[in-house]
Amino acid sequence: MVNIKSGETFERVFLNEPEVNLHIVQEAGSHVKIHVLNMPSKQAEGSNLQTILNEITIEQAGEGCETEIYALAYLHDHESVTTETHVTHAVGGGTSNQLVKFVLADQSRGRFVGDLKIAPDAQKTDAHQTNRNLLLSEEAEMRTQPQLEIYADDVKATHGASTGQLDESALFYMQQRGIDKQKARQLLVNAFMVDVLQTIGDEELKERLLHSIDGVVE
Amino acid sequence: MNKLLEIKDLHASIGGKEILKGVNLVINEGEVHAIMGPNGAGKSTLSAVLTGNPAYEVTSGEVYLKGQDLLAMPAEVRALAGVFLSFQYPVEIPGVSMTNFMRAALNAKREYEGKEPISPKEFLSLMREKKKLLELPDKLNNRSVNEGFSGGEKKKNEIFQMAMLEPCLSILDETDSGLDIDALRIVAEGVNRLKTPENASIVITHYQRLLDYIVPDFVHVLADGKIVKTGDKSLALELEEKGYEGLNL
Repeated sequence: MVNIKSGETFERVFLNEPEVNLHIVQEAGSHVKIHVLNMPSKQAEGSNLQTILNEITIEQAGEGCETEIYALAYLHDHESVTTETHVTHAVGGGTSNQLVKFVLADQSRGRFVGDLKIAPDAQKTDAHQTNRNLLLSEEAEMRTQPQLEIYADDVKATHGASTGQLDESALFYMQQRGIDKQKARQLLVNAFMVDVLQTIGDEELKERLLHSIDGVVE
Repeated sequence: MNKLLEIKDLHASIGGKEILKGVNLVINEGEVHAIMGPNGAGKSTLSAVLTGNPAYEVTSGEVYLKGQDLLAMPAEVRALAGVFLSFQYPVEIPGVSMTNFMRAALNAKREYEGKEPISPKEFLSLMREKKKLLELPDKLNNRSVNEGFSGGEKKKNEIFQMAMLEPCLSILDETDSGLDIDALRIVAEGVNRLKTPENASIVITHYQRLLDYIVPDFVHVLADGKIVKTGDKSLALELEEKGYEGLNL
């Protein structure tokens, strides 16, 4: 368990970690910003990972905390990633923002469990949870389980989840401009992932990752 | 005069319903052909079939572009061979910037032609030059393709892409729909300035208005899946005056 002291900031990027298990307690006015990125490169092919579990538990124990969680998984073959977030607003005035995205190719599997609690005392909480998933194959599978428990009445809380496929009309539009289907798919997949990567604070890492997805080819 | 496109007895359907019922058309280099016709006649189907839209099925007939079997080519190869469609409804592609999109398209074409990828400097100056032609704003580069564009901007963006890619055959599918008179003038001037003795255009429209700006060599009337009448630009005026029913088709 990690304690983030009053007014402090904790910022971490977990890139291709075999497992993330994080339990954070936030004191008043602290700021937590976490990225969990599972983007195994195609070079790792054959290494045959892999079932990965990311478990992130955040407790806002003091007032006016800020929590940001960004998760992105881009999976191939039989890779499987489960991302669980457990965010509890125990006291008021806090904000939490979660953006969780999966891109699933081949026979890969994704699972998101988003557990959000707003305690009776946590008035004026502002909590958002978004889960967007892109299936690139008929055999890929996504399971999404948002669980919201809201016990305070003066709060703002939103959540949304959607799973879809690449836009066929956009693919045809690009092909009509001479871009082959593979490259067109790649452009759309990259576009889907860009907003998560753009939230990374470490400029050098951000640039490197944004640059690298140009090379990720289906 | 060199033959650019030849369509022979083309039949096509969507969802099992036959829309094109035997279209014949020859287009030579340097020519502008207008295709007019009532709703549901098959105008947009023709453009979709020529560009390889997978939603449509060609049931019989042949199409040749510079003597090559166009229908045998995948959609992107048709584009690389020089067929360009200005979409009636340009597609929004959130997250893909105009710069990345255009660079991918241009470099695909250069690769097809056996050329090296364009240098970043050349690319940007080409973008700037062609944007000016369509009076498009500088900030276009970083915007997602067509996302949040007004109706007029979308159509200008189509012709901008046409200017970047320099196709030999452009199909303008109701490029005039949703344009105010200023945007129409800009779009039409753009099209006219891209005209060369080697390329040709098919202009699909409901209204004679566009043809005041883009003057056609031939006007064809497409009705119930066939070209039922062909004339010069005066046919468009006649249509405007009498309507399709007045033609005694």
